[in-house]
Amino acid sequence: MCLAVPMKITAIDGYQCTCEARGIEREVSLFMLQHEDVKAGDHVLVHVGYAIQKVSDEEATETWALFDEMLGEEHV
Amino acid sequence: MARTATEWLEALRELGVERPVRIMNVCGGHERSISIAGLRSVVPANIELVPGPGCPVCICPEEDVYEAMQLALHEDITLVAFGDMLRVPVNVPKKDPRSLEQAKAAGGDIRPIASPTEAVRIARENPERKVVFFAAGFETTTAPVAAMLAEGAPENLLVLLSGRLTWPAVAMLLDSDKPGFDALIAPGHVATVMGPEEWGFVVDKHDIPAAVSGFTPESLVAGMYSVMQQLRDGRRDLDNCYPQVVRPGGNAEARRQLSDVMEVVDANWRGIGVIPASGFALRDAYAAHDARQHFQSYADESRKRVGEMPPGCDCAKVVLGKIYPNECRLYGAACTPRKPIGPCMVSDEGACRIWWSSGTRENVWEGRKRDALG
Ligand code: SF4
Repeated sequence: MCLAVPMKITAIDGYQCTCEARGIEREVSLFMLQHEDVKAGDHVLVHVGYAIQKVSDEEATETWALFDEMLGEEHV
Repeated sequence: MARTATEWLEALRELGVERPVRIMNVCGGHERSISIAGLRSVVPANIELVPGPGCPVCICPEEDVYEAMQLALHEDITLVAFGDMLRVPVNVPKKDPRSLEQAKAAGGDIRPIASPTEAVRIARENPERKVVFFAAGFETTTAPVAAMLAEGAPENLLVLLSGRLTWPAVAMLLDSDKPGFDALIAPGHVATVMGPEEWGFVVDKHDIPAAVSGFTPESLVAGMYSVMQQLRDGRRDLDNCYPQVVRPGGNAEARRQLSDVMEVVDANWRGIGVIPASGFALRDAYAAHDARQHFQSYADESRKRVGEMPPGCDCAKVVLGKIYPNECRLYGAACTPRKPIGPCMVSDEGACRIWWSSGTRENVWEGRKRDALG
């Protein structure tokens, strides 16, 4: 519940946007980032369907690389 | 700055701090990364990594889960909650439903959701029906609930709020005789929303080194390096090892929404008790969306073990970092993710579940003197 993941904004409609990461699409609210200038193509950190912060493309890519590495090793 | 985890570990070894140091983390996400990446086995042997109060599901009052279940069973409503909450057991006689999941099987209209926006959608699709959103969570999760209300939720959507703040539990530990840790890794996503400044008291008031970390092994080891270096140099500051995301002041807009919609109140933590100024309650302006104002209370103080952990479950001690998960007598024996006994084995953020999922199978309870565990 508490882990936020970086996603890329693909389309914006008001406070709602569509985000994508690792081939998965999600509807995400930008309501908590209304003070920021966000546009399609930007990366945001998404938690329970809300973008909580803008992140750089670099940070998003690095985070995903490390998550992939980690989750690849997980055995449940 | 851009050192790899391996390089940070090397630097950590070269610091040459040899005394035993207990570093606490207070975030299920941190504990998960530490366990999955196996950081405990690669940090210098004098460093102990202690999971602390980082699981909002684990400390959500048993009474609140019970209340949510009774609302779903006795009122004509749809109850929605984050998925983790559905399997949290309450203390009831054997024949009664013990969790939201069982209340659903018993006929309650209960649905798991992954986002407050889903609660809004369900309420919009069923305008004639009351939808109650049982919202447990720390700041990172509670702020989106506030945002949902600030944006304007449908009239038929009510919130049963069990939001909590993270830092007051750490403050409570530090104010006690035995905090149980010498340094703190502060939670990166809580700080993303609330700002790192919230954790300043750890350094200023308690002289305990602290660093805000992200969720990758390198950000975590960078945080460990920072606090160990602070210990070595006798220096104290709240370091930000996640500057890519954690900005001074956090997310100002999110904080504004949170304080517009909710106020901070004393709050009960399951198995722990009331911690001052550690919970969120809806402000009067949002009373129309407050499930507690709308429905009669189903609280039943005569219930056996009301508010407590299930019999034999040491989850509260695990949450406070007093024992490791596998020091619970039931760990891996009666209690596993398939058949969880306590909330720490239910939630993805619970230390018991995280340890089990990342391969810790050994139960070290036997032969330990329980009395010494405090
Ligand atoms: S192993 Fe199970 S019973 Fe023991 S503390 Fe963890 S959740 Fe509770």
